[in-house]
Amino acid sequence: MENTEKKSGLKKIVSMIGGNNLVLIGAIIVVFVLFTSLNRNFLTLQNMINILVAASLIGIVAIGHTYLIIAGQNDLSPGSIAAFSGVMAALLLGKGMPVLAAIVITLLFGVLFGLFNAWMVNCIKLEAFIATLVTQTIVRGFAYIICDGRPVAISNRTFIVLLNSRFLNIPVAVWIMLIAFVLFGFILSRTRFGRSIYAIGGSAEAARLAGLNPKRIVTICFILIGVLTALGGMTFAARMNAGQPAANINLEFDAITAVILGGVSFAGGVGGMFGTVLGVFLIQAFGTGLIMVNVPTFWQNVAKGALLLFALTFDYIRKERREKELIAASKKNAQ
Amino acid sequence: MGDILEFKHISKYFPGVKALDDICFKAYGGEVLAFLGENGAGKSTLLKVLNGDYKPDAGEYLLNGEQKHFHSPQEAIEEGISVIYQERQILLELSVAENIYLGRMPANKFGVINTGKANQMAKKIIEDFGLPIAPTTKVKDLSIAYQQMVEIMKAYSRENLKVVCFDEPTASLSDSEIDSLFAIIEKLKAQGKIIIYVSHRMSEIRRITDKVAIFKDGHYIDTVKTQETPEKEMIKMMVGRDLGDIYAKLDKDKEIGDVLLEVKDVSSDYVKPVSFTLHKGEVLGFSGLVGAGRTEVMRAIIGADPMRSGEVYLEGKKIVNRSPREAMENGIVLVPEDRKLQGILSNLSVEGNINISLLKKNSNKLGVISRRKEAREAAEGIKNFRIKTPSPEKKIVELSGGNQQKCIVARSIATEPKVLILDEPTKGIDVGAKSEFYEMICKFAKQGLGVILISSELPEVMGLSDRIIVMRALQVSGEIMAKDATETRLLSMGMIEERERG
Repeated sequence: MENTEKKSGLKKIVSMIGGNNLVLIGAIIVVFVLFTSLNRNFLTLQNMINILVAASLIGIVAIGHTYLIIAGQNDLSPGSIAAFSGVMAALLLGKGMPVLAAIVITLLFGVLFGLFNAWMVNCIKLEAFIATLVTQTIVRGFAYIICDGRPVAISNRTFIVLLNSRFLNIPVAVWIMLIAFVLFGFILSRTRFGRSIYAIGGSAEAARLAGLNPKRIVTICFILIGVLTALGGMTFAARMNAGQPAANINLEFDAITAVILGGVSFAGGVGGMFGTVLGVFLIQAFGTGLIMVNVPTFWQNVAKGALLLFALTFDYIRKERREKELIAASKKNAQ
Repeated sequence: MGDILEFKHISKYFPGVKALDDICFKAYGGEVLAFLGENGAGKSTLLKVLNGDYKPDAGEYLLNGEQKHFHSPQEAIEEGISVIYQERQILLELSVAENIYLGRMPANKFGVINTGKANQMAKKIIEDFGLPIAPTTKVKDLSIAYQQMVEIMKAYSRENLKVVCFDEPTASLSDSEIDSLFAIIEKLKAQGKIIIYVSHRMSEIRRITDKVAIFKDGHYIDTVKTQETPEKEMIKMMVGRDLGDIYAKLDKDKEIGDVLLEVKDVSSDYVKPVSFTLHKGEVLGFSGLVGAGRTEVMRAIIGADPMRSGEVYLEGKKIVNRSPREAMENGIVLVPEDRKLQGILSNLSVEGNINISLLKKNSNKLGVISRRKEAREAAEGIKNFRIKTPSPEKKIVELSGGNQQKCIVARSIATEPKVLILDEPTKGIDVGAKSEFYEMICKFAKQGLGVILISSELPEVMGLSDRIIVMRALQVSGEIMAKDATETRLLSMGMIEERERG
């Protein structure tokens, strides 16, 4: 609120990183201190890499969610799409298809599912929550149908090496996530397309009258999350050496939690990619920590639900504060 | 007389607007008090504070010396304060009696509703009002005027009713209906109720009110006695200065050129076929009642709503606008009426808002936006349109309404249009900013743009336009040169006749 010249050095740093992101960094530190004190192995290089590997699927899906939720939409279908993609790729490889062709075809299914979601939202005007719930159910069904409900083993070495080897001691899945974060972060903050996403999230009708095409932007966002999820699903299958129709349940839940924790608001129009990076890391460190200190599986679910509740409360408080600041600023400008 | 309603230092802020600023005055029982002020002066906001719709940011109000704080309109009604709005707040599928006693129907001790008793009680009220309707009639079968009467009866049926507020009650009533409404107001007044009457119509204010409370830009100016104060003086207090002078001072020395835009039988799902022409350097006013179809024609022309029939020619060449984007590329741009929902992008900065239509121009082949170009465009817009903002990075919602609107105009002009359509451009902005807009509009015309000005404020449309088209019931009802236009002529051209009403 203060004028730039009055800002002290500390305030400058705060405003550069963003107050919200600082809170997240603080939360990550708390999680690390907590779990390290309970299990010495938590703070080791190997465990850090494990966390990143485990985060890679959530991370890549969360990129899609960052775009969609800023645009004022949402997507509940990634868990099913990821499982479907793993199974599909495994089946195609099992039939002797070349690796590249199998990957491309699976990605095309991601495009198709994204288009289907976009069609329901744009053309029959369904709420994104409901529309993508439809896709979640249908695609999960197909994931079982195409493999008769049985996991499909992957024996193709090229596929596994391509998606599950290490480069500079860091697994390919992590590299994919990191590159995607940088690339899509740049697109979001610096390009026409990124700006359009913020604009339609602010007000789709105002953006349309100002010359943007909200339906097209929403469609691209749905396709993007479909493709990213398909890629993530294949990487996951390569790591498991199998495509499993029952895999990745609640994937979208984790990704959305990470995105909301990262400062994107369900109201649309606000947030950024760096917050999502922190949100993903926080939620995975938390999840891995729970496993390492032997919290029973069912209680892990409860803890994750609590984390989402925390994220939503956090979102609410941020929104309230934004509004208060706005009123205060208006008061000043209206004098 | 008994009841006194007192407002003490009431203030209310909205993002970008100081809607009410330190309002202090009293209203007395047995008097009809008018609220007079321009759009956005704060009249409706004050009513909403009074009935618990809005919580004031500061101040309080007292009924008979007792401080009141209502959290909802329901609470206010229970304490005897009722507001009758333009939009009916009744349930069309229920009967007259059920509406009057909604939520407090007489019932026996098992909770079974006694409809007969309700009808009897309602009948007595209807007789009090002298209306020819039955308590069992469904409200949807009544005329608009009678539906409004049901609302008033609903308020009246409360034994502790102390304050009745009418918000533009006559907007959709015929003369005879207005007569019966006024008869009821007189009756309420005789019973010693406090009556607040919000209207724009001077003749009605003269006829029914005892005193007039005048508001301007969220401030309470003064209360005057209706009979002792000339109309001219009231208007002067309300606008703060003589608006006639503003129009007279405008630089309208310009040349009107060739035909720029020709619209032939354009229609959409929301408007009947409409034709008109617009010349270079011309300001073409569109007058008519709200809902006459003025906005809808423009939306069809720019492709915001699908065009069902008709053709549009720009500089003699046929153009097709399937979306606002195409219209913009062809050189037609609209500044929409609803600034909050259709104009500003509330999450973006002033700079982001000014540049949103220029994304292509400001970015390279890969779509990467040049921050330098954006900063330059924003600086230019802020300078040219005298936008008051602490910095280009400020969120647009932090600015006042007038400055937000300037950002939208700056955004539109930056696309270098040939035709600029302004839909109620000065709605809800203060008089100072208004005169700046008027100067701007004249400047655009002088530069050779064709300007279409939709406005519901008659002096505005007459003072700025070269020619005025009047719309009524979704089609053009007439055209008149501005120099021949008078308020009465425009009104009679735009008024819906009795038989046309649904």
